[in-house]
Order: sequence, then structure tokens, then C-alpha cells
Amino acid sequence: MPVDPMLQPLVAGFAVEAQEVIQKVTMDLLELEREGLENDALAKIYTRLGRHLHTLKGSAASLGLQDLGDIAHKLEDALAPLKAHTQKMPRPVVDVLLHGLDLFMLRAQAHADGRGDYLPDPAAALAQLVAAAPPPEESAVLPGGGFAQVPPDAVSAPSAAVSAPVSAPFNPFAEAPAAPEPAGESSDAGWRVSANQVTSLMREVERLREVRLRVEERSRELERVSALLAKQGLLAETAEARTLLSGTGRSLRTDGEETSDVVDALEDGLKAITTRPTRTILDPLQRMVRDLSRQLGKEARLSVVGAEVSLDRRLLEKLQGALVHILRNAVDHGLEMPAEREKAGKHHEGALTLRVEQQGNLLYLEASDDGRGIDLNQVRKAAEKRGLVTAEEAARLNDNQVRDLIFSAGFSTRSDVTDTSGRGVGLDAVRDTVEGLQGRIEVSSTRGQGTRFVLTLPVDLGSSPVLMVRALEQFVGLPMLAVESTQLARPDMLRVGKRRTHLEYQGQLMPVVDLGARLGLRASSPPAEGQPLLIVQSGGKRVALGVDAVVGDRDLVIRPLPSEVREVAAWQGAATLSRGELLLILRPDWVVSDSEKGTVSAVSRRALVVDDSLTARALHRAMLEAGGFQVHLAASGARALERLQADTYDVVICDLDMEEMDGIELIARLRERKDTRTLPVILVSAHDSAVARERGLASGADGFLSKRECAAGRLLAEVLDVMSRRGSRA
Amino acid sequence: MKGTPRVVDEALEDETRELLARRAARLREQGESNVEEAVHWIAEFPLGEERYALPLESLRAALPLRMVTPVPLSAPAVIGVLRFQGQVLSALSLASLLGGHGWRQDPAVLLVVDRGDGELCALDCEAIPRPTTLPLASVEAARARAEGPVVEVFTQDRQLIHLIDPRRLFARSDAGVRHAR
Repeated sequence: MPVDPMLQPLVAGFAVEAQEVIQKVTMDLLELEREGLENDALAKIYTRLGRHLHTLKGSAASLGLQDLGDIAHKLEDALAPLKAHTQKMPRPVVDVLLHGLDLFMLRAQAHADGRGDYLPDPAAALAQLVAAAPPPEESAVLPGGGFAQVPPDAVSAPSAAVSAPVSAPFNPFAEAPAAPEPAGESSDAGWRVSANQVTSLMREVERLREVRLRVEERSRELERVSALLAKQGLLAETAEARTLLSGTGRSLRTDGEETSDVVDALEDGLKAITTRPTRTILDPLQRMVRDLSRQLGKEARLSVVGAEVSLDRRLLEKLQGALVHILRNAVDHGLEMPAEREKAGKHHEGALTLRVEQQGNLLYLEASDDGRGIDLNQVRKAAEKRGLVTAEEAARLNDNQVRDLIFSAGFSTRSDVTDTSGRGVGLDAVRDTVEGLQGRIEVSSTRGQGTRFVLTLPVDLGSSPVLMVRALEQFVGLPMLAVESTQLARPDMLRVGKRRTHLEYQGQLMPVVDLGARLGLRASSPPAEGQPLLIVQSGGKRVALGVDAVVGDRDLVIRPLPSEVREVAAWQGAATLSRGELLLILRPDWVVSDSEKGTVSAVSRRALVVDDSLTARALHRAMLEAGGFQVHLAASGARALERLQADTYDVVICDLDMEEMDGIELIARLRERKDTRTLPVILVSAHDSAVARERGLASGADGFLSKRECAAGRLLAEVLDVMSRRGSRA
Repeated sequence: MKGTPRVVDEALEDETRELLARRAARLREQGESNVEEAVHWIAEFPLGEERYALPLESLRAALPLRMVTPVPLSAPAVIGVLRFQGQVLSALSLASLLGGHGWRQDPAVLLVVDRGDGELCALDCEAIPRPTTLPLASVEAARARAEGPVVEVFTQDRQLIHLIDPRRLFARSDAGVRHAR
């Protein structure tokens, strides 16, 4: 059926629009076949459905697409008797309508691609549609979704629906037109740009954001200069200079604000080009779940949380296949048959949940079901049978390792190959996809209660709000989305136990975690009165995080960490601050995870390393930790004194030559204090001379080592020797 | 009679032959010295009392050791992270990666190097390295003999250089997680 050449450019736009409308109709149909909807709600959905179908018919007819108009008309006919008696839609009718929508969309796409001339006569398809539809009176009285004969292709249609291109919301920056374009404007009036071009543009925007931070910093510096000059009375005599300085300060602030606006606008524009809501890949999954469960004689309902989160289009495209695999597995292997579920005390309809959450530059995608859970014995046997592990290896595996076998290439618990499974291709491909995106996938399962997959993926796009806090000298950031509230510690709110402290918050007790201790910077202690506590939540868990100071919130671009530190569970990335220094960003899921689990048994010996060289601190720490010490670090003598006031140590390793306060002065200060008078101190120095050694030992040090000797591995022996000598003297 | 001039000619001929022979020898000598020995460019720096080097082509920059953010809970060799040309890089202790080496002074320089897998990282060292060369044949022979990340090569003036192979160094390094608390 040829389309008028004048109208052809509009047909492409129509196909995109039709895709959106059909998606809405699909969601409404799935809603209508569910139980428990009030009559008012049902009536509203029927009305909306009728309007949508009418829109499709009208739009098709206006473009001369008669075949599409006829299909839409038949669908309206099928709907009419049900609208008259508002009730739950019988499944056979839903099947027919969904099948009709597939037919409509496939033909609309063919017209848009200029293949309309080669389409088969729609009469046969329409006849099949009419034949498959139950008679109006039957449709109107079918009780509670009884099963009727469904044309086979009505069930096999979802793959076409899922793989069909999904439209984006209207967006002036987008490549594809979101709505029919005005006549005379060709569909290629936009620009086609490569992903690399957009990525490099994003990098420039990020640089501009850093420039803006620097401008803010310069402005603050200028204010400090003005304040300093005013304090010393230098500005009083030069009114002109004072006016000039304050004028420059104001201009700088205004420029900073304008830059900020420009950066925000650029970033929003880029986000609009490069992202789309997650629902564009999640909504079609509803249909897939529905059709697959029908095919297998099961009942399932998919709930989606967080579908509004917008993500990089490329990421979404890659994730779509992974989610399809996981959900198909959940329906096929996870969910039981309705009768079996009822026997087990569950609702006959299985519940599948997809939850999407973005925290900073991490995306959490959780897919769970309330089915039978993973049978570990069956997994063991299947892995053995398929030669993935030997019987001896399988016997040695713990439960987590057995669960991980389901991600092995070639693994399947099915002994026969069906349409949905048994080929051993699936979860290994999912894991490959996730790992290809530098993410990770974890599975947890409880027998009889269900299975949960959690995909954690880095997302690298634009800035996100971060709360900057401090623990000792370490500044760190927390994604603002994970911070529920901030409060100051009060003794009456705290329940201090032998091992843990809890905070009474909103009628509940939640564990208090000291950030400094969690990061290994100091020993854990209950929060002091007035210490800031952040209520951090992630994945349904909450803790009160004790920090030394809340610095403030920032809008920061979080970059992924390099490979050498990527596996450190505490960190999700790093962001650049105004002076070019990096701020590490904490992973909220690590913050709320049980810190007790990872704690090594009580450490009896504690060492404090004081050195202004980052390298020396790192090296000494490594050597002492290897010897079983718990090591805390201080970058100066003053910091060391602070640490020694708050914590107790068994030994101090101190650099001889430090700026401000050298090792000798620190020893003198320690010997003045009663509690540290006998504390063993070992001086280390880059200068390996007899003079330095004599000077160090004369100052009261218990030992002296050159850094060359330390690097050669003598530090631990010297520390143990000095501690033993001190101990025997005591 | 007719013999004298011939003798003179012969004498001249001998002189000419000798002159030409000398010239040829000089040219041969010159030619041989003009054949440049193939060399391997390196960035040489001190590590304690010893001389170490990295292939010059792997060196991207030398920076002062500052603006490095420590990473709590990271592996012992990790000093911290820093920003370099818009990227986040790890700063690693070379002495620690090499298993504990001499220490003449606290490291003050970071060398940004290509790890050999396309990623960059920064290694600390005591002084700014100087570019120099090693005989290529010696480097290749040393590499063929050794399997580790450091090979010992002698310079033309018989000084020992420990030449680091970044690809081998990072392939075996265990920089990563220290422990989680």
C-alpha cells in the first residue's frame, strides 16, 4: 500500500509516536487483567485505552495508512463490549489486543522504513485477529481471567515488542524526532554526532565546572586578603584601593555565579542528549514477563521502583539484554506454579521487583523474586554433570561459591532444552555484560523465599551532590542521596554497649559507626557530645556515621578510581576540588555494611607512625601491619600529639627531620607528659650519619634507624626489640 | 738510459699507492666509527644508593610529589591518588613495589608512566630522572636472560643500571585492597 511521497517524512514521526502510544496501551492492558482494581479505576483505564486506540486510528488514517486504521478499528471493536460492562479484562482478550498492537507496530515501522509496498495483505492478519477474539458476549462474562485458546504467535510476539526500538521523550537535542515534524522539514534536519564527540564535550564541561570551583576559591582568597589588610589598618589610608578591591571581589563573585549557570545549563543539555529514563527499557519488560508467565502457565507481576532515573543511553542498551535474561530466569526457574505457591502459603501470583537507584556515580539495579529460591544441591549436581567442577571440588565449596556457579559459562539446571532455557547460555552472558561495564553482580537467595540479584555499575555522567565530611585529617565525600539527615550527638540519644554504640533515632536503635575507625585511622570510641552524626541509608539499611566535621555540600563530578584502588570496597570514585586536589567518595553500601564482619580479631599492639613523607608513612605502615600491628598515621608532630591525647599506643615511630616540630621536639613533649613519659619512641631519618644517630639517641629516643635500614626490613625487629627492652625496664 | 725515469715513476707510484692506501684506511676507519650503535633511551634516577631507570617511551611526566590524596584501606604500595590531565591516577611507592630498597632521601618526585596496558600511574622517586641511553643489544640480552620486572644492564662506561619493565612490574604487583574494616 503506497504512501503518498509528500507524507513519507511524516510517517517516520508517526511510527515513533505510535510506539509511545502502544507502550501506554500495553501498560493499561496489563493493568486491566489484574485483580483487585476498583470499578472507578477500571473505568478510567478503559476510557484512556479507548482514546489511545482512537488516536492511533485517526493518526493512521490522516496519513493514508488504511491498513493501520483497519487494525486499530478492529481493536476498538474488541474493546467495545468490555467498556460497556466495566470489569477485569479476560486474558484471551488481552492476548488478542496485544497481538493486534504488535501487528500494528510492525506494519507502522515497515511504512516508516519505506517497506510498506512489500507488506502482505492485512486481510489475513485481520481475519486471524477477528477469529481469535472471543465473541462479545463471552468476553463480557468470562470470569476472573479463565484461560482460552490463544493463537501461538500471540504469545511469541513479545520478543518483537521487546526488541523494537524504544522511543525517547521529546527532546530538542535528540537525534530522532520525537513527534511528526512540520511539513517541509526533513527528518534529517538534526545533527548526527558520535559518542566520542559527546564524551569529549562532557569532559570540557567538567573542566569548566572545575574552573568555576577555582573562581569561587579565588573569590574567597580575595575576601581573605581584604580582611587581612583591613585588620592591619592598611586599607584605611587607601580608599581608592579599598573600593577597587571590593569591586573586583564583587565582579569575581558575579562571574563565578554566571559561570555556574552556564555549566549547569550545558550539563543539563548534555544530559538530555545522552540519557533517557530507565523506564524506556523497563516498561517493555512488563509485557515480556506477562507473556512468558502465560506461556509457562504461571502468574507473575512485575513491580518497578525508580524507573524515572535517567541513564546513559549506551548503558541502557547494554543493560536491556541482561535484565531480560534475569527476569526470564526468574519466571522460568524462580517462580512456582500458582497451585504450588498457594500450597506454600504464597499468593498465586508471583512477585517480581526491579529497583533502580543511583547514588553518586554508582547505579544499583536489583531484581528479585519471591519464588522457590536457588536449590544449592541441584546447582552442585548440575555443575558436576556439566563438568564445571569435580565432585571433590563441589564438596569443598561454601554456599556463596555454589551460588556463584550459576554464572559459569554452560551452566543450566535444565536437563532438556526448552524455548526459555536449558542451553546454558544466560547468566554468564549477564555477568560478562556487567563486568564489561566495570560493574559487578551478586546473588543472594533463601530457599522457599526467593532470589535477589544486585547489579552495581559505575555511571560516568555529569555532576552529583556530595556531602563533604572530615575524619581526622582525611576529607571524604558521601553521595547526598544516601544521607538522610544530620544531627549532633547527645548522651541521652546514645546507648553505649561493650562492643557497639547505638543511636535512638525515630523510635529505633541504629548502630553508630565511627568513620575514622572504619577507615583504620584511629581506634573506635563512642561519639563525643556535639559530634556530628550522619544518618546514612543504602539498600534498606541505616547507620549513624560519626564524623569529626561536616564541611558542606558540593556539586561534584565523580570519576572512577584507577585499577590499583578500584577494588577497595570503601570507595566509589574521586572528585576534584577547587584547588585540584582529589576528594574520595565513599560507597554508602560499604558504610552501612556490617563492620564487625571484616574486623580482625582484637589487635593487641598499636603503633603510631609520624612522618611528613607520604611514602615513608605508607612504607612503615605496611611493614608494621605485616607484623600484626594496628597502625595509625600522623603527618606532623602536632597531629601526633593530638592522636596521643585521644588514643593509646604501644610504640611511636617518628621521623627525625620534620618541618615545624621535629622528632627531637616531639620526644621532649612526650617525655614531659606523665602518660607518655615511658612510651617507646623510635626515631627514623633519611640521614644515615653517626651525628644524626647520636643526636637522636641523646634526645631520649629508644631506638634509631636510617630509612635505608627501614626499607631493608629492619623496622619491625627494632620495634619489637625496643618494646621488649621498655617492657623489661617497666 | 731509459731506466731512470722509470725508477722515478715507480717511486712516485709507490708514494701514490701509499698515500691512497693511507687515505683508504682513514676512510675505512671513519666509516666504521660512523656506524651508530643502536641505543635504548632511558630515564635514569637514583633509588637509595643504586641507579634505576625506566624506558623513556613509558615516561609521560615528572611531577612534584604533592596534591596526593591518601586512600585508606588500600594496598601497602599505594601512596594515594592524584589528578593528572583530567584523569585520576594512583601514586605508588616504587620501593615497595620492588620489595624494599635503599633510601637516600624522602621521595619528592612522581613519575607518570604508562603501565604497558594503556593505563597511567605515578611512581615516586627521589630525584628528577635524566634521559640517557643504554646499548640496545645489552638491553635485549639482559631481557632475554631475566624474567622479573627489573633487569641489570651495564652502560658504556660500565655503570650498573637496574632497568624496570613497567609491563612486567604491574603484571605481578599486588596493589589493590589492603583489608576492609
